[in-house]
Amino acid sequence: MSTAEDVAQIPTRIRDYLQTRLTDASDLKMENVERIAVGWSHETWLFDLHYRDRSGPQQMGLCVRRDPGNALLRHLSDLEQQFRVLECLEATALQTPKAYWFESDTEILGGPFLVMEKVPGTCRNPWGREGRAYYQAAAERGTLPASFTATLATLHSIDWRDAGLEFLGTPESGQGFAKREIAKWRELIASTEHQPEPILIDLICWLEDNIPSTDRITLVHGAYRTGNLLIDDDRISAVLDWELQVLGDPMYDVAYVLSDLNREGTHLLSNLVERDAFFSDYEAATNTTIDESACRYYNALYAMRSAAFWMSASDLYATGKSDDIRLARTAWSIPVVLERAARDLGY
Amino acid sequence: MTDGELLQRLSRTLKQKIGPAIEDEYPKTQAFMAAVVTEKLGRQIALAPAHEVAQRAEFSALLGDLDDLLDFKSAPPALRDALVDFGENPDKPTLCRVIEAAYASRQILDEMRFRKLMARIRVTLRADIDRQMEYAA
Repeated sequence: MSTAEDVAQIPTRIRDYLQTRLTDASDLKMENVERIAVGWSHETWLFDLHYRDRSGPQQMGLCVRRDPGNALLRHLSDLEQQFRVLECLEATALQTPKAYWFESDTEILGGPFLVMEKVPGTCRNPWGREGRAYYQAAAERGTLPASFTATLATLHSIDWRDAGLEFLGTPESGQGFAKREIAKWRELIASTEHQPEPILIDLICWLEDNIPSTDRITLVHGAYRTGNLLIDDDRISAVLDWELQVLGDPMYDVAYVLSDLNREGTHLLSNLVERDAFFSDYEAATNTTIDESACRYYNALYAMRSAAFWMSASDLYATGKSDDIRLARTAWSIPVVLERAARDLGY
Repeated sequence: MTDGELLQRLSRTLKQKIGPAIEDEYPKTQAFMAAVVTEKLGRQIALAPAHEVAQRAEFSALLGDLDDLLDFKSAPPALRDALVDFGENPDKPTLCRVIEAAYASRQILDEMRFRKLMARIRVTLRADIDRQMEYAA
């Protein structure tokens, strides 16, 4: 299902599918149908479902995520895993959308998909002019920065065994987590048709030589930034984009927050949080100390991960698996990441 | 008009004429992204001859300096083999093997020699990435 005509049929097919799940429901109607996130990752459809059942008229805000067959990193985090993670998180203190159904039958929508709750809130693009202004204004109001830090602390405080998240793979304590991450991104790089890049090899060898040790294993989101959070009334209403989650060193997430990747030229972490406030609030909430040395290491690991992303993304276009020219553009992001890595390594 | 100049011109046409004429958001974004890609590719192609000359000179100088730094005969065998390959075919894949062999031989080399070796290699890597940034940034 890849033509525009096929895609146009998806809302009808979603409605027909929901009818099979809501067996007591009648008069199903979808309103406010909106398709977002085209091409890069899984397709996302938002809508309000109206129907009648024995109790009378009902309404559900729903979100459908569909695997279009060529999503970036689809083999590393498929929708079934995302669904399982959301199911596990439902009983925890972390705000996440309720997961309703996962469907592996590709005949229905042309690819596997999941149905989850449409949580109230908005997710502003942190890189756009409007989004940048919004986060800066929110930083001054103060509630959202505190919610940003508190939500990360909550995420890292989840009892992941109790939540049933062991299926994500438990790394060995010590150096196990970083070793697994390096191996994962190495494999992705090797799967592409890009020729070996000496700076990337230097970076990988350096990472293998300097692995930090940790005994604290938590759930790690893997991309904790404003663009992956739903915000309602200056508070985080849901943590989204469960595509890169792992069990590992929480400093991996903290490093992502501390990096200057998402600051948009401001001194604020994620263009939102004062560094000192983040440190004191996070440390108080988790009763731990932020290991800045480990964060510097993970920052270098993010450079490897970014290079792997861009190699994989640009390959999707180069090998004809996707026609999205934004993916072709990422081939020139690789040198930018490697230049940054070289500076991190001191040259 | 060279290939690079042609691509630059195509990029301007996409950016200034085609993109603005498209109303639908997705194809409009694609047109502008195609403009970015052709612009970068145009610059890359235009710079390629000079970059190839510079890289050959850099790799040749690197090989000579590594020879001096290492005392070739006493170098660990894996590193010596990688250097031989790099000398016979000085390109990025063989340089990658030199780097991997240097890290793998770190204990045998002793720390000081390893650091000197990597410092010299990194001079070449910095020059290479600076060239790539001329069209990628």
